[in-house]
Amino acid sequence: MAVDEQVNHITPEVRAVIGAQSEWTEAAHPVEPSEVRRFFQALMDPNPRFWDEAHAKGTRYGGVVAPPGFPVHAFRRPADEMHDALAAAGDPDFDGLSRALRPGLPKLPLPLSGVLNGGYQYEFFSYPKVGERIVCRSTYRDVTQKQGKAGPMVLVLIEDEYATADGRPLLKSLNTMIMR
Amino acid sequence: MATALHYEDVSVGQDIPVVVKGPMTTAHIMRWSAAMENWHKIHYDWRYATEHDGLPDVLINGSWKQHVLAQVLVDWVGESGWVWKMDFQYRGMNIPGDTLTAWGRVTGKSERGGYGVVELEIGLKDQNGKEGSPGNAVIVLPLTGGPAVPYPFDPAVLN
Repeated sequence: MAVDEQVNHITPEVRAVIGAQSEWTEAAHPVEPSEVRRFFQALMDPNPRFWDEAHAKGTRYGGVVAPPGFPVHAFRRPADEMHDALAAAGDPDFDGLSRALRPGLPKLPLPLSGVLNGGYQYEFFSYPKVGERIVCRSTYRDVTQKQGKAGPMVLVLIEDEYATADGRPLLKSLNTMIMR
Repeated sequence: MATALHYEDVSVGQDIPVVVKGPMTTAHIMRWSAAMENWHKIHYDWRYATEHDGLPDVLINGSWKQHVLAQVLVDWVGESGWVWKMDFQYRGMNIPGDTLTAWGRVTGKSERGGYGVVELEIGLKDQNGKEGSPGNAVIVLPLTGGPAVPYPFDPAVLN
């Protein structure tokens, strides 16, 4: 049995990315009614504030809004992006995703390829309305290491701030990504 | 329209009305994946999920589960209150056939700045009672006869 040496992944290079922040990035298109519809229908959440303009006008939101966590999923592929992510579908390791870690943040210099979503902390300020544009800025808040059953795990804490393009805060999210 | 919820209506130890989803099928998973434009094969390719990734089945999306946790809180506070904070961990996998119950229990309450702040434990249990997404939440409610909780919500009002 080989000696299970504890590898320290938290090198000075890894530590140097803590605090790195992306620019504010705007989602490719404004909040669309049909996008919101697919969202709440797939959630099986029939709340009329998501679809009934007459009802929503009478609420303090002043119109139809998207569900509270919607901004997290508002960053879709722009219409003029011709590179097809599915072109890599022949690769047995293709997972259909290329955005587990945030665009606009430096890559973490880690020899680890497994990424698991550990969970979220959310703080909500307001809901996006149909037609509004959503912007996001991401920050590496911390990178730490823990010893798991199957070896060392690196916990990457990423803060995402979401707002409308005209500056109304929507939500703040703190996401723990587990790399191993 | 339901009666508006006020701080005085809430007591520590109280269970809030649950939200139940399921039994979940592969079609429910695919519908969410399509709505999210998430093409990760662990959600629709059984062979990839089980043989390549060693999973028990295709998985119900974590993102779907987090919105169900938000829904149980939003439904409860209605239009008078505000779901301020929620956190949760992804501890367990959920697969087709599971029926999931989002639940919440009041663990604390206090008045701050003329508003009511209520803390809860939350989670998402499967049909066997196994908790897969434990977490916590904080909501803000108006006091009876007090000012409405501002929208957009500004945490500074609680100081």
